[in-house]
Amino acid sequence: MHFKARVGEKLADRILQENLAKAKPKFVDSRAKVMLELDDIEATREAAKQIRNRSLENLDLWLETFESKATEAGAQVHYARDSQEICKLVVDIARRHGVRKITKSKSMVTEEAGLNRALEAAGIQPVETDLGEYILQINDNEPPSHIIAPVFHKSKEEISDLFARTHNTPRKTDINELTREAREQLRPHFLSSDMGISGGNFIIAETGSVAIVTNEGNGRLCTTLPKVHVVITGIEKAIATLDDLSTLLRLLPRSATGQAITNYVSVLTGTKRPDEFDGPEHLYFILVDNGRADLIGSEFQDMLRCIRCGACMNHCPVYQTIGGHAYGWVYPGPMGSVLTPLYQGLENALDLPHAATLCNQCGVVCPVKIPLPELLRKLREKQVERGLRPLSERIALRAWAWVARRPALYALGTKIGVRYLKWLASGKDRIKVLGVAPAWTQGRDFPAPQGETFRELYARGQRDCAR
Amino acid sequence: MHGGNVTARDDILGRLRSKLGRNAQNAATARQAMGEVLERHPGGPRPSQPADRLAYFRQRSEALSTTIDEVAAFADAPAAVAAYLKRHGLPLAGGVAPGLSDLPWAEAGLRFEARGGRPDDLVGITGCFCAIAETGTLMLCSGHDTPAALSLLPETHIALVRLSRIVAAMEDAWQLARDELGRLPRAVNFVSGPSRTGDIEQTIVLGAHGPYRVHLVVIREA
Repeated sequence: MHFKARVGEKLADRILQENLAKAKPKFVDSRAKVMLELDDIEATREAAKQIRNRSLENLDLWLETFESKATEAGAQVHYARDSQEICKLVVDIARRHGVRKITKSKSMVTEEAGLNRALEAAGIQPVETDLGEYILQINDNEPPSHIIAPVFHKSKEEISDLFARTHNTPRKTDINELTREAREQLRPHFLSSDMGISGGNFIIAETGSVAIVTNEGNGRLCTTLPKVHVVITGIEKAIATLDDLSTLLRLLPRSATGQAITNYVSVLTGTKRPDEFDGPEHLYFILVDNGRADLIGSEFQDMLRCIRCGACMNHCPVYQTIGGHAYGWVYPGPMGSVLTPLYQGLENALDLPHAATLCNQCGVVCPVKIPLPELLRKLREKQVERGLRPLSERIALRAWAWVARRPALYALGTKIGVRYLKWLASGKDRIKVLGVAPAWTQGRDFPAPQGETFRELYARGQRDCAR
Repeated sequence: MHGGNVTARDDILGRLRSKLGRNAQNAATARQAMGEVLERHPGGPRPSQPADRLAYFRQRSEALSTTIDEVAAFADAPAAVAAYLKRHGLPLAGGVAPGLSDLPWAEAGLRFEARGGRPDDLVGITGCFCAIAETGTLMLCSGHDTPAALSLLPETHIALVRLSRIVAAMEDAWQLARDELGRLPRAVNFVSGPSRTGDIEQTIVLGAHGPYRVHLVVIREA
């Protein structure tokens, strides 16, 4: 299904529209409040931007440093070029250790890879343990609609029905009770799984560690109880030091959920030490390319600073109206509209760079100062350069350019155009159906032109001055 | 050295090198700058804090639904823990971090075994490496005397915090770790209040997969 068709469907979905309207102010208001705790928000954002740039500018060397530190601590570091390689590595590791069940902490990179499908095909049971991801998994593997709040699009009533149906329990509508029910369902899985998979918010070169930011505690369970832990994360997540982590942590939870810090931040280094009661005996890192390496040194390198907080989508008027599923791939909102064409191919996501008003709310809230509207505009330029725009649009623009280079003709054209619009408005100040382009007025009115055209006004001004 | 996947590694790093225009000379310059960053680990801007660090730590912790008690000395901690458990009708038994096993738990009427966390534990008692005032956070380091699961599996987590170990910010906590531990333990867990989730309708619920309650006993003894 194409983007426009999906959007039409989402706009007509009354339950989704109600859920989105309810969710919208919560993230925005709590972020605004908690950002004020920082004495200098701009200086903190600038520092975060510099930290991320410093990593990207020497990414090859930082990865080598990380790798040697992580290996020294007892981890094994692997690289994966694409989804297929990610899945193969994970299945191989699972088979090597005789793994039958895997508990997973939230990881968007494994969504990129379609890892759960590959594991099931290999006869290994993946269990999503983040509450939101768990809800989606038991709802027939529905995809997440938000990178940090996967069931952003769902009401508690829908979740009540799903739990009653899946768990065969009396229907509960209290959110506390629903959460407890999920806890009770998942606890036995944590205790019986042989392997835990987590993402990585950052990997730290100084110590060869991974930093994982969570609230529920499922991330800690997945990385403490099973005998094998596999970290799957993008190559761009490398940072230099623990102090860099401290700076970034002042912004990531604040931008994401409006918290000064998440309940848990785990910095994990190497495997279980000889005298320890708990911890994995085997630790693997899978560092993923999947399109990232090619952005280094390109005009889109800024996008790799992204720390996946979701603030851009929380503040995006388009996301707030259509929800995450309409975007069609793993990453929605402004960051998704940049990443999807870059990772999936420009020609496979033609509408996304245009699904933005370029209002720059995303740019203003981004904790690492990614110029998202600028990148969206660059993607539009790329589409034109590569001749990917539809023929009608190309002809229309060429015609406009031809006319615009001929002032007399242009003046005549606007004169006729304005008369036509006035005729369409027939005395009212709004046009309900734009005659030559009715699609434009499907979801909005067109303002009717008032009085004279700019050229007429200007010419009259000149005449008055001359007198 | 890199497991069995040398081709993907060489391909990815090779492309990064070519995109970055890497050569022996700029690699040497970059490595030197990186070495300085690792050596000095410069910090970013920090929010200012009131002078009374304990009061601020308390305020930040309570904002996260953590509860706090204060006692004069370590030896007073078991009685304070017993009072808290009785006040909330919680079991007087569970696991305690081996590093705290010499405190007079039994004298306070408590039955806590020195060991790692168990799935059926309802209460777990730990110390902490240090605590952070800025965010009301505990820094827990894993190890034989400080097992990670004790603060995670039980529904109630109680932590003893020495007043002199409350630092201002996370950067200070890392510096303590560099000075005292040398290398990082397997797991450093920063804990800020009871576990929670906002996944359903962005409504915060306490007690997702970790503890429902986090109670701190601050020990004023130097």
